[in-house]
Amino acid sequence: MTNVAAEALVGDAAAAASPTGRRAPKPPLPTWRKRERRIGLFAVLPAVLVVAAVMLYPIGFALWLSLNKTNGIKYEFRGLRNYTDLLTDPLLWQVVSNNIKFLISVPLVITAALCTSVLLFEKIRGWRYFRVIFFLPSVLSTAVVGLLFRSLFGYNGVVNSAVVAAGGQPIEFFTEANLAISVIVIALVWSGFGYQSLLLLSGLTAIDPAVFEAAMLDGAGWWKRIWYITLPQIRRTIGFVFIINVLYTFTSLFGFVFVMTAGGPGYDTTTVDYLIYLKAFGGASIGSGAALAVMLFILVGALTFAQNKVFRIGDDD
Amino acid sequence: MSSSNATMKRSSRALVFVMLVGVAFSILWPLWLIGTAALRTNTDYLRNPFGLPGELTLENFRRLLDTYGIGQAFLNSLLVVSIAMVIQLAIATFAGYGLAKYPVPGSKFIIGGFVAVMLIPGQVLIIPIYLLLSKFGLVGDFPGLIIVYVATGLPFCVFFLALSFRGVPNEVMEAAKIDGAGFFRTFFSIVLPMGVSGVATVAVLQFLGMWNELIFAFILLPDDSKTLLTPALAEIGGKFVRDQTLVSAGLLVTAAVPIILLIVASKYIMQGLSAGFSR
Repeated sequence: MTNVAAEALVGDAAAAASPTGRRAPKPPLPTWRKRERRIGLFAVLPAVLVVAAVMLYPIGFALWLSLNKTNGIKYEFRGLRNYTDLLTDPLLWQVVSNNIKFLISVPLVITAALCTSVLLFEKIRGWRYFRVIFFLPSVLSTAVVGLLFRSLFGYNGVVNSAVVAAGGQPIEFFTEANLAISVIVIALVWSGFGYQSLLLLSGLTAIDPAVFEAAMLDGAGWWKRIWYITLPQIRRTIGFVFIINVLYTFTSLFGFVFVMTAGGPGYDTTTVDYLIYLKAFGGASIGSGAALAVMLFILVGALTFAQNKVFRIGDDD
Repeated sequence: MSSSNATMKRSSRALVFVMLVGVAFSILWPLWLIGTAALRTNTDYLRNPFGLPGELTLENFRRLLDTYGIGQAFLNSLLVVSIAMVIQLAIATFAGYGLAKYPVPGSKFIIGGFVAVMLIPGQVLIIPIYLLLSKFGLVGDFPGLIIVYVATGLPFCVFFLALSFRGVPNEVMEAAKIDGAGFFRTFFSIVLPMGVSGVATVAVLQFLGMWNELIFAFILLPDDSKTLLTPALAEIGGKFVRDQTLVSAGLLVTAAVPIILLIVASKYIMQGLSAGFSR
């Protein structure tokens, strides 16, 4: 959605500038026009400078760091060695495979979100209140959600007291890799499906109601309409939600891992973004951490690019 | 406004309602458990975690305040987030207005750049920013973190505000210009009042984002007396794994502000949704 809006905005800004800027032999700008351009530039300048200084420059700095062995004071240039060392380190591949395990959350979240959005779409009485409730987990910090689920699944937690009441032994959820990952996945689904059901709902609302009426006249039942009309119509929104979920599992698990497992047992729940933190602030290998950060950045960029491509193709048909 | 799609029979609509209640329950129930646990003593909680509190106590909150300095952390968070938000809005409203209504040279490039920068994950920035700030002696104090929050939130703010200021009709602004109003007069007397709901939306979303932020706050403010609420909670949670009621009380304190904001400002938050995701 962001991209669509961006294009609209970019297109319009270009149109606004064109009366003076586009004609082939440029006539000199009238003074008021020059003044307008200058005022506009001054209004935008602070934002551009701050973003350049605190976001763009650090990206360049991270690139430089990733080519060095450094403790933050002394730098020793070592070319691409940080990258080659990382790529041949089995730990990296273990961590990447952890990230891939977390991808299980993607179909779960999307399924839950789809079901919820279809229910909301019926716009029964009070749906606006439901909407606010479903949004609730998204206003909470990942640290809060993570701790909430660690409490629920903790040794003295609610889940274990249910287990004990049923005659079992309390389970240590966070000392076994797959159990720990499962709990984090549950937390991910809980915190994500509500917001995404609202995104999907906005896709549903954009469907032309005439399509539904026509289908009803043809005698298509509710399930048929969902399967043959609703889902195909919002496939682009589903694609968008899919991509942001994949991005999310690579960039936003830090909070969950930090408070729930600290990456353990061993490195069994360490994700790429957590490994960056461990390397830079736990293991004093800043260069290696920066190299990993750069690789994550490239991955995010590639996924976003792919998303844009998919959207373009979607626009054509 | 309750335009139902009327694609279902009455009985099935009742079923939809029941299912929605079920979904809402799955969200609210864990929060309810935490909320009640926070008000119980540990022994009372262990006797029956599901049940209602045997006796209510504020002991957990008192311990958080007296022993773990959660009050100071709360105030620190409020201070940092408020200052960062005000600076951010000041810079972003001007930039958004400029991009929306003035023929800024290279505006296409600027907006495209902001959208691209929005995608940079915080983990990519944390190492270089930590090193740069420590070079200037800004690690361990509020200004450093404030600068980072202002900058990382700006691209979304500018982008969103440029979109919403475009909705201000040009005729009104032309009329003001003819009356001799300059950039600032037009901005404060027309653009801001007419675009106030966009500004409110951005303000709420940014406040939430900064309040909930963990990694920058944790790394850039290592000192206990300067720590913010979210990292303080994360640390308490790490230290007292088995003390459910204390951790629950901490969760309640940290989650209270976002939940209250959601209830008070749900209109603005829902508006922000249509602009996609902020972070």
